[in-house]
Amino acid sequence: MILLLLGPLAAFSQVRTVTGTVLSGKDKEPLPGATIVIKGTTKGVLTGPNGSFRLEVTDPAATTLVIRYVGMTSQEVPISTTPLTITLQSAGKNIDEIVVIAYGTAKKSSYTGSVSQIKGAELENRQVSSVTKALQGLAPGVQSASQSGQPGSDATIRIRGVGSINASADPLYVVDGVPYGGNINAINPYDIESISVLKDAASSALYGSRGANGVIIITTKKGKAKGSNIDVRVSQGFSKRAVKDYDRMSVDQYFPMYWRALFNEGLANGNDSISSARDASQNLVGELGINPYGSAFPQPVGTDGKLVAGAKPLWNDDWSKAMQRTGHRTEANVAISGATDKTRYLISGGYLDDQGIYLGSGFKRYTVRSNFDIDARKWLKVGFNLSAAHSDQQAPPSEDSRSDNYVNYGRLMGPMYPVYQRDPNTGSYLLDAKGNKIFDFGDYRPDPANPRTNLVQTSGIDKHDVTRDDVSGRFYAEATLYKGLKFKTSYNADYSTRIKHDYTNPTLGFDAEVGGTVLKGNYRTFSWTFNNLLTYENTFNEKHHLNVLLGQEAYKFKYTYLEGSKSGFSVPGIDEPSDAALIGGFEGYSDNYRQNSYLGRAEYDYAGKYFFSTSLRRDGSSRFAPNRRWGTFWSVGASWKMTEETFLKNTSWLNLLTLRASYGGQGNDNLGTDRYYNYLPLYSVNSNLGLGGTFREFLFNEKLKWETNLNLNVGVDWSMFDNRFGGSAEFFVRKSQDLLYSRPKPPSIGYGSVDENVGALKNTGIELSLHGTPIRTTNFSWNIDLNMTHYRNKVTSLPQNEIISGTKKLMVGKSIYDFYIRQWAGVNPNTGVAQWKYTNPDGSIKDTSNYSKASLYYSGSSLPDLYGGLTNTFAYKNFSLSFLIVYSIGGKVLDNDYTFLMGLGGSAGRAWSTEVLNAWTPTNRNTDVPQVNTVAASWTGTSTRFLYDATYARLKSVNLSYTLPKTLMERAHLNNIMVYVQGENLFTLYGHKGMDPEQTVGGTTYYRYPAVKSLSAGINLSF
Amino acid sequence: MKKYILFIAIFAAAVFSACNKDFLDTRPTNAVPDDQVFNTVDNAETALTGIWAYMFETYFTFAVPGIKSLDLTSDAMGSDVALTTSYGFRDSYTFNEMSDNTKNRVSAYWTILYKTIDNCNNFLSKIDQVPGDDAKRKLLKGQASALRGWCYLTLAEFYSFGVTNDPSAKSVPIYTDPANPATPGKARSTVTQVYAQAITDLQAAVPLLADYSRSSTQKFKIDGNVANGLLARAYLYSNQPAKAIAAAVAARNGYPLMSGDDYNKGFNDVGNPEWIWGQPQTPSQNVAASTFNFLDVSTPVAYYKSYKADPWFQGYFDSTDVRFRLFQWSTSGPGALLYKKFRFRDPGGMVSDIVLMRSAEMYLIEAEAHARNNNAAKAAEVLNVLRTARNSHLFNGGGSVTDTILLERRKELWGEGFSLVDIIRTGGTVVRKPFKSYTGADSIINVPQPDGSIVKVRGVGHRTLKLPDGSAFVKNSNYYLFAIPISELQNNPNINN
Repeated sequence: MILLLLGPLAAFSQVRTVTGTVLSGKDKEPLPGATIVIKGTTKGVLTGPNGSFRLEVTDPAATTLVIRYVGMTSQEVPISTTPLTITLQSAGKNIDEIVVIAYGTAKKSSYTGSVSQIKGAELENRQVSSVTKALQGLAPGVQSASQSGQPGSDATIRIRGVGSINASADPLYVVDGVPYGGNINAINPYDIESISVLKDAASSALYGSRGANGVIIITTKKGKAKGSNIDVRVSQGFSKRAVKDYDRMSVDQYFPMYWRALFNEGLANGNDSISSARDASQNLVGELGINPYGSAFPQPVGTDGKLVAGAKPLWNDDWSKAMQRTGHRTEANVAISGATDKTRYLISGGYLDDQGIYLGSGFKRYTVRSNFDIDARKWLKVGFNLSAAHSDQQAPPSEDSRSDNYVNYGRLMGPMYPVYQRDPNTGSYLLDAKGNKIFDFGDYRPDPANPRTNLVQTSGIDKHDVTRDDVSGRFYAEATLYKGLKFKTSYNADYSTRIKHDYTNPTLGFDAEVGGTVLKGNYRTFSWTFNNLLTYENTFNEKHHLNVLLGQEAYKFKYTYLEGSKSGFSVPGIDEPSDAALIGGFEGYSDNYRQNSYLGRAEYDYAGKYFFSTSLRRDGSSRFAPNRRWGTFWSVGASWKMTEETFLKNTSWLNLLTLRASYGGQGNDNLGTDRYYNYLPLYSVNSNLGLGGTFREFLFNEKLKWETNLNLNVGVDWSMFDNRFGGSAEFFVRKSQDLLYSRPKPPSIGYGSVDENVGALKNTGIELSLHGTPIRTTNFSWNIDLNMTHYRNKVTSLPQNEIISGTKKLMVGKSIYDFYIRQWAGVNPNTGVAQWKYTNPDGSIKDTSNYSKASLYYSGSSLPDLYGGLTNTFAYKNFSLSFLIVYSIGGKVLDNDYTFLMGLGGSAGRAWSTEVLNAWTPTNRNTDVPQVNTVAASWTGTSTRFLYDATYARLKSVNLSYTLPKTLMERAHLNNIMVYVQGENLFTLYGHKGMDPEQTVGGTTYYRYPAVKSLSAGINLSF
Repeated sequence: MKKYILFIAIFAAAVFSACNKDFLDTRPTNAVPDDQVFNTVDNAETALTGIWAYMFETYFTFAVPGIKSLDLTSDAMGSDVALTTSYGFRDSYTFNEMSDNTKNRVSAYWTILYKTIDNCNNFLSKIDQVPGDDAKRKLLKGQASALRGWCYLTLAEFYSFGVTNDPSAKSVPIYTDPANPATPGKARSTVTQVYAQAITDLQAAVPLLADYSRSSTQKFKIDGNVANGLLARAYLYSNQPAKAIAAAVAARNGYPLMSGDDYNKGFNDVGNPEWIWGQPQTPSQNVAASTFNFLDVSTPVAYYKSYKADPWFQGYFDSTDVRFRLFQWSTSGPGALLYKKFRFRDPGGMVSDIVLMRSAEMYLIEAEAHARNNNAAKAAEVLNVLRTARNSHLFNGGGSVTDTILLERRKELWGEGFSLVDIIRTGGTVVRKPFKSYTGADSIINVPQPDGSIVKVRGVGHRTLKLPDGSAFVKNSNYYLFAIPISELQNNPNINN
């Protein structure tokens, strides 16, 4: 009996030796450093430099080996004594990846917090100048609003909604482990190894107050493999406007319409229709300042309101087109990386020239970075990471209501005004002595059409330059004090300076009369973070794993502002303040902000199955009064890797199932960049005619304190069928209380608001991310990644019934994203005037033509119901095709840009939307555009009339690449050559024509530089 | 061992830096805590200079360059300015702006005036405890009191009809104590009460300023003349003509009427002998001067040139009148009548001083006060002092002396901000007629050119001849009044109590 039992044991008790090689599936390259573990044990080996391994299996019961490699789908193979060749396929998103978290790293499959990670390779498929623009659609819970297409501009990032009303809602950026204080667009996306987005308390509470709006951790590339490797990447591309601008009237449409506006003015002033028509015909050309029909038709529109027979416009110019061009983009990057026994290094350089689609706009950037890690002693590791960036941005006015806004200027100019001077009788161009066309500055144009200007010409003379210099350094030393006990100290400084140089020339255009203007400003930011961390990590009794961190951190930030302006240049052609005569203004100040923190974290896991984490941090902020300065922030989290349990362990189709939950509190002290000292009874300083002045500009509040965010996160991660399909689902509740808010006050007390801690709000949402590899053969594979986010925002407490601010109203139970505006009631079919709704005291709802009498109503939300991204990647032999579609369903946008084109004739010469052709007339009574009339009250005030559905889907990026065959490359002594074409924003599905659907999270437009679409081609070399 | 030394050294450094108690104390560099303002009388004076600079030199928008633009609004809503459709005051002109509580301009003036009032309240509550020279303290108290009085006077002028129409009409709330975060909004006081507050403040200021003599380059400072001038306005507007006389006479003391040549110099120089009160401007401080972008219709640098004259207005002048010379028909663009009263002094620097009070107005107040006191002879005598200075025919009893004086105010003070004030306080009406010939045809003007030729111009007058609802201009129309901004209505539950 015993023999019977021991028999098999005896039979298998000899040691089996397994040998083999691990190769990558794509290029059949050996994979050094892959782990081969006997399934169900921790026993295993790593593959050597040539991908081979040798493992001795002593356990006779063992049947299976598990082979793992970072970034590849792990594989299980039966134990066999014949040499194995194991080919690992790369995983789209490896569920078992290592993710970068606060002050360390973690395995995603067992981490208690909520983290999304984006790999550098995913960024390489994009043609973006700022990392922020690349985040869209790649991670659930991350809302990226690229409202501006100005080259070099950043996108606004919101993680899990907005937890704050007035205080900053921007996430914290952490670069190489330490909060980053420089410009985010100084980071070359090419230098990025990975981006982690920390979304819940367990992952980000260790950053305390600074991580309340989520944390984006950027880790730059480092040297890895021994030897040295050189990578070169060069690309060239072109860009255009992503979506067409609003449709505007032609000259033939404009003239009769403006005639009608004048005619209606006459009627409104009590004249009869005959004299009104006569006056309108007579005055039309005078009012508009020009007759594009030539002197043969001195009154091109007859008293019947129609173009007279035979009248043909001699020109019909499109200024919007004239202000644009095809942008050109060049990018080149080089990186040299490698390692020796005791050092690892990477040096990289980048060049980018991104020319804008509007005249006079563009962005050039030069970046260098060097990362060094040195094992100075057996117990001591030191390293530094230095990066520098210089950029020259040409940023003409956009996102600005100025009349020289480059986007608005062309859009709003009537088509009857020629760009170049023309013969008024024939329409042919007038030429100067050299035979060149002459720009038309239109001193005859009415005021709304910007007389005496021509930005098409002066955009080439004037300057709107922003020069940035960023230097960032990370220095650390890590000492192993005792087994598992480490001390790490790091000093990290970010220096960023921006020089603005605005110049308008003294001879032509907007400021010619004052002899030109110049504004020069220097805005310098210097911040440092000094931290000291003590960590202890150990495993007890093989099953109890403990990791403890204790530390201290100090942060110092200084902003220095210096700006001066002058006017009156001595001679044209020079553009610095020294060249101008009159000082217009000179201002300078600096702001100081500091924080001091103590932090701790403990992580424990049992047998790789049960994971617990907790953290605690105390922050002191200089923004609050001494007795309210300190806040305590904390988190707890747990996860359960169910697939490690015996009852699931042998389920062959299920590779991973993890449940996790976390809860914790974080803080926010960021009232805004101009509000550092609001607890002090301050008098602002100014002056009058050389005499010093001070005045009380704001009410102070010494009771200001930390805003608190309480975050709950529950999630599940799974992976199945050899990790071919998997995903994560998460549910979150993000509560913010003691909101830092500028609470409105009756302005008659002298101040329109006071900063207070008021009320509470809640963001509740779900996030889903799925990935799959539906097809995986030797030559062909297809990966899909889909993510979606839905969240709702609700105000849960307020100190008063309602607070109205701008286009929104705060009220318990409503969202801060709910529009609270006037309700459009249509055009009165009998009178042709605009109407809005108002509620009588008795509750009945009526229509009124008096805008200010109209009542405000809740009118939908700017929040989308669902947003996210879908990535498909196809690989066939050496070809790879991937495309990313981002989508946003639901939500509304208030389009104030459009209202400029929807006037009723009060602004002579301004371009008109073709929609105005449908204006009310006695024969066209059922319409949504009121009667035109030059003296009518404006009807374009905020109302639901201009609230549009914001649903869209956009082909954000397409990338097709081809890797040259190995054989060819070996002959050329190259490791790798890849050629590719990339497209951005090539196709957009959206509703409201003319407006780019990507606008702010709050759902409002502001004369912004529109998004661009681009196409580029490039080559990647590695040798 | 070395590593422990290193560790201890770094740890000590960290603890030392972090435990430094002052590490978290930061101070602004462009503002000071109030105890550094109210520590000496001299420093306290900066609080008056500062709020004054705020009032005049703050852009709300380019169409609201400080409190001076309120004067332009008043004229845009009168009878004699035929505004163009240019950016700026066109919606005030059509009466679509100031009655609309959502408009930026509506909230801007409310904000400026009440912020100034609270700064004065705060100043007056503190100044008595500040150590320093008592004479200076007295003068500063006088200036703060007068400034607050001027704010309440301005509010009383525009937010309800005049006292003669309804003395208990609701005007605006009155605050005399400094605000704190808990201060509740107050209810509207009556127009009589608001005028009374203004008069109380100004009466308090006059004796405090009696010994004060300001430098002639600092005409922006409130002295005894200015306080008396404001008091004269307040008495006249609140229908206390008897009291207005002495105040007006005291105000103009030392400020003789300007010469005809000076009247033609562009109203841009605070050195004008007739100016009692004004805000000088410089190239680096010219927010208030940007009102000239609208008022100045002839200097190329002026951006909007929108304050064209109603052609009918020209008809009120004798051709000998020094003021008549300022009219000129524009021969380019629509045929507008330019009244070149306001011209940039230094176009390159966009500089023009701003007039706030001059003795001509004081003569007119005095004259009107006599008239309202039923002393027509004295009224005519005072009026004729001004007419003589302007080389206009003398008034000798033809028609109502009061009406003549009110018309003279329009002629003398065009563009200085009195149009709507006079319409509201007298219960008058806006008058706008189309500029057409008696047949209803266009008025064609022959404009002689320097070379002797004639250019024919189709004269353009008023564009808006009706109220926004299509009705005719009437007395005491609600469209004349300034609305209380929507932010006040939304955040002050007491406002209409």
